[in-house]
Amino acid sequence: MSWVVGVDVGGTFTDLSARNLETGKSVVHKRLSTPDDPSRAVTEGFAELKQKVGIQDHEAERFAHGTTVATNALLQRRGGKIAVITTRGFRDLLEIGRQVRPRIYDLQVDAPPSLAPRHQRFEVNERIDANGNVVTELTDDDIDRVIGEIENLEGIEGCAVCLLFSFLNPDHERRIGEAIQRRCPDLFVSLSSDVQPEFREFERFSTTVINAFLQPEVSRYMDRLKTEIAKDAPKAAFGVFQSSGGLMSVERGSQFPVRTALSGPAAGVVGAVASAAKSGITDLITLDMGGTSTDVCLIQDGSASLSNVRDIAGFRIRLPMIDIHTVGAGGGSIAYLGADGLLKVGPISAGAVPGPACYGHGGTEPTVSDANSILGRLPESLVGGGMTLDRSKAVEALKPLANELGFTIEKAASGILGIVTSNMVRALRAVSIEQGHDPREFALMPFGGAGGLHAADIARELGMPRILIPRSPGILCAEGLIVADLQESFVGTCRTAIDAPLDAVMSVVEALNTQAEAWFEDESVADDERRFNLNVDIRYVGQNYELSVHAGHGNSSVSLPDTESLKTGFFALHDRSYGHHDPHALIEIVNIRLLATARLVHAIEVENAPTNEAQPICHHYVWFDTDKPVSTPIFERTDLPVGLELQGPAIITQIDATTVVPPWATIKVDTVLNMIMEIEL
Amino acid sequence: MSQAPIDPILLEITWNGLKSITDDCFVTIMRSAFSTNIKERHDHSAAIADAQGRLIVQAERALPIHLASMTGLMGYILKQYGDEIEPGDVFVANDPHVAGGTHLPDINMAMPIFDGDRLLGFVANIVHHADVGGAAVGSMSGGLDEIYKEGLRIPIVKLYRKGELQDDIMRFMLLNMRLEEERRGDLNAQIAACKLGISRMGDMVEKYGSDYLEQVFGEIISRSALRMRTAISKLPDGVYEFEDVMDDDGIDQEDIRIVLSVKKTGEQIIFDFTGTDDQVPGNFNLTLNATQSSVCYALKALLDPDIPNNQGTVDAFEIVVAPGSFLNCLAPAAVALRANTCQRVVDVIFGAFADIMPDEIIGAANGANTSAVFTGINPTNNQRYVYLETLGGGMGARATKDGKDGVQVHITNTSNLPVEAIEMEYPLRVEEYALVEDSGGAGKYRGGMGIRRTIRPVEHECEFSGVGERFRHAPWGVHGGDPGGTGQFYRRGDDGKTEMLSSKTSGLRLKPTSSMVIETPGAGGYGNPDARSEENLKEDARSGKFSSDFLQKSYGTKSND
Repeated sequence: MSWVVGVDVGGTFTDLSARNLETGKSVVHKRLSTPDDPSRAVTEGFAELKQKVGIQDHEAERFAHGTTVATNALLQRRGGKIAVITTRGFRDLLEIGRQVRPRIYDLQVDAPPSLAPRHQRFEVNERIDANGNVVTELTDDDIDRVIGEIENLEGIEGCAVCLLFSFLNPDHERRIGEAIQRRCPDLFVSLSSDVQPEFREFERFSTTVINAFLQPEVSRYMDRLKTEIAKDAPKAAFGVFQSSGGLMSVERGSQFPVRTALSGPAAGVVGAVASAAKSGITDLITLDMGGTSTDVCLIQDGSASLSNVRDIAGFRIRLPMIDIHTVGAGGGSIAYLGADGLLKVGPISAGAVPGPACYGHGGTEPTVSDANSILGRLPESLVGGGMTLDRSKAVEALKPLANELGFTIEKAASGILGIVTSNMVRALRAVSIEQGHDPREFALMPFGGAGGLHAADIARELGMPRILIPRSPGILCAEGLIVADLQESFVGTCRTAIDAPLDAVMSVVEALNTQAEAWFEDESVADDERRFNLNVDIRYVGQNYELSVHAGHGNSSVSLPDTESLKTGFFALHDRSYGHHDPHALIEIVNIRLLATARLVHAIEVENAPTNEAQPICHHYVWFDTDKPVSTPIFERTDLPVGLELQGPAIITQIDATTVVPPWATIKVDTVLNMIMEIEL
Repeated sequence: MSQAPIDPILLEITWNGLKSITDDCFVTIMRSAFSTNIKERHDHSAAIADAQGRLIVQAERALPIHLASMTGLMGYILKQYGDEIEPGDVFVANDPHVAGGTHLPDINMAMPIFDGDRLLGFVANIVHHADVGGAAVGSMSGGLDEIYKEGLRIPIVKLYRKGELQDDIMRFMLLNMRLEEERRGDLNAQIAACKLGISRMGDMVEKYGSDYLEQVFGEIISRSALRMRTAISKLPDGVYEFEDVMDDDGIDQEDIRIVLSVKKTGEQIIFDFTGTDDQVPGNFNLTLNATQSSVCYALKALLDPDIPNNQGTVDAFEIVVAPGSFLNCLAPAAVALRANTCQRVVDVIFGAFADIMPDEIIGAANGANTSAVFTGINPTNNQRYVYLETLGGGMGARATKDGKDGVQVHITNTSNLPVEAIEMEYPLRVEEYALVEDSGGAGKYRGGMGIRRTIRPVEHECEFSGVGERFRHAPWGVHGGDPGGTGQFYRRGDDGKTEMLSSKTSGLRLKPTSSMVIETPGAGGYGNPDARSEENLKEDARSGKFSSDFLQKSYGTKSND
């Protein structure tokens, strides 16, 4: 028997999921997180899971981990003390950034202070030009001088080396890196040409500095966890989930911690894709609604779009990341009257402590969950009966607001839900309509604790006819981890007019293929499990941003397609993104990206589904869009057999998620136990 | 009042829906425009107005300076066309003197919203076009002394009549602008956004009905005005005065005075600019709309940054300024570089409020929209290149913390171009991009620092033109804070010679044996330098942002502790 195990660490819960590679059997386990040392919940949870399922030490073949350690370290500025070495004349570049302020009208809000204060940033005398040629040679004396200055600072743990045009010629950065390693072997080193070898210095430098800042903390965590897991699962290969949607080895995770900044949400998206694929759905928009925020992501043809730049806690990261749009509203968001006398919901949240009033942990402010509780949409027990909701506390919390509005308590509660819907609709429009996609052609896929409570209202508002509720909406991230591929991206910059001879571009493609093959060898990936995926970043001459055009994929190295097909691909993408293209304007290639993936799990899944007719566990009065409640059957999800069709109203509860089926919707359980809801539009 | 009181929840949801429409229009322009200025720098706005031409909702990312141009245009459309406004019409205009604009590159478009034959309002948008003709490439050069030289003037005309494109008007406009294809693309993007807005407003009418929507429009305005007036009423009554002087107009007028007297009684607030100099020959003049936008920005920033931009916000204050003034110029005054003046109007307002809003106001900022243009023939391909950049500078110190270093301030917030992008694109080498040492005015909290960018042409000779402000009149400090550093342009030769240049420099030849140094102003400090904490002084010295001489001079012996 061999098992693959996924562990996703969230703020409140640590979710584990295990799948037996021979039988396809899969099990899940949920436990509270241990924020003081997240690795404890991981190792303890793993031990609990092994016991629960009877997994033997040597049976765990792969251990896949989604982590928020890097994200939290960044949010709390809990990283290493680092030095920066940069080109003479550019010490302040990291501080100036893109010279913009975070909010136009707010005089008090600042961008976060640099992770390396100015006196920890040093210049060396060197310069490389836009063709990668050395203009000013870097001398060994200067390297010695700058390392000496860093040694004079107390407590420096790491160093980011950020030189102009190092993505074209990394020689100077490498010499500095090697010299540091010789003289100060304990120092962590991040070279910008390793972390993200792409043009645009601020984004590259910022990403490198964040990486250096995270390295000490994250590598300590990874080392600790690796040692612990090696005890419990000596044979397991340990993989860390990256923001781009694939696994990397724990060694690379320690070297490039910045790549895990969006690890958790990205795993959720991968889990969503895998789950929807089983129902034959490949075009979907995910709605991952948690306590304080909601993540939305558009998936087309079974793949999530990637974005290349994102700010996390005010810090700019330029790396391929699954393109997730986040809204500051979730189940715990607090409702209040704004300065204009109108009802607002979020972004302030009751959080995990004290949580919504109905949780009975001392919360007194009315939240979205309280509104759901008042309207009967949220059943009385949550998390498999471990928590009981107190509707009267919810009523008490909402009463003052309802009085101020002059509304009944139910009307105020449904007002809160209406505002949540309208906020979510704006987020969904941002990932679909604003990117040139029609949401009506996509299925909505709610997950997270609160997604299923609001999905029907949101889908109806956007004219989306179909909702897919995955079998296990509460642990989709952990599911994503066990189906994820091993993945590494390689990038090379090679700015060339598309109509010029492409020899230089071809040699970059060749070099990337060679790097990818070396990586596959390092990771011992069998030949037939290797996937190469080539993309070319192309733009019109004079544009500041590129579009990434798919240029081929295969099981072995991929070569550059001819100019015409690159152009055709670019035009089509430009049409979709911007609504037009100009066949005569000059076009240029900027970057070449090669994504190398190795398939790790061939899932064969068998499910034991009930065959009896489902009986509601009880009936409750639930308010939908009318002014009076409707008697509504409540079903337990695990009782629902394959092929069951239900006309709303109904509420379907399961271990940690609730689905509301309004009177104007029907629901059907498909053969893989996903539920498909059809909306009457 | 025969109407039922409005449901505050439904109003919030409807308001959200209207915001969503303006955001969609904004994004449509961004996605379908041709020019970098729109696609990457987002120098555009979108809005909805009601049948009386009152601004109801502006897109979230709309720029402060575009606010009053929108309201201005509506008034002119109603006055000029009245009963001749018909479904399917699209109005286009840009003129600051006869069509509510603030400078010619901002082309306004508006399309009426009808429910049957009932005019319900307008959807409108503004795009800053990279060129609208005139004497200089980009229509934004210094030294132009009448609006005719600044580009094509478009009064309000119908670009579409009842859904029919007026091709003669389109051709007439395009012939007068450089880069015709790019202009056509950007204009089409504006038309597309108008049509989208009309179609989405049609859905709203179907869903809610025109009566309800009109009620919503009124509520949005009255609630925003109430919110603004409530904030205003909390200020102490009185008269608050300030004045400041701009360097010059780039032609022959120096020391241009801006004089302000704020009169506050109850909920009423009047910004009286009487005493301000008359309009100047150079193109730094403001139309009344531009002045209004600046006042609105300053009030929002001081009172409540989250107040939505609409007619209610604008209606909450009054402006007194005589026609023909520098801040209410008349045709044919030139206005292209108005942004520099808008920045200064904001500083002056903050100066006037210094005593009554000590926690909110900040020291004078870099007070400019510093621009630099390098142009020449690229030796590698023999083609002409034009590299244009606007640079940020210092932002004034605040009551509880230092000012921001090296940022765009107040009415503008556009990004820089990466050094690597400049060098890959143009035959130029950026030798330095840094904060200017000692440029943050001393104070309990110090002012923000200016930016230095040093550029040298590679293997060819190029031309430099630049526009700056606060080269002579330093950004002042408040409540005892010292002024920040002034800006400067200078040419530095490899022979060691340095040549200082004027703040409005045109067509300076630059050889590969010399570099052009652009230094933007810093900003004023807040509070007496003696009160600066030792910890902050230690950081000033340790960071290397300030020289020991400067610290000694500004903070005395304390800095040596």
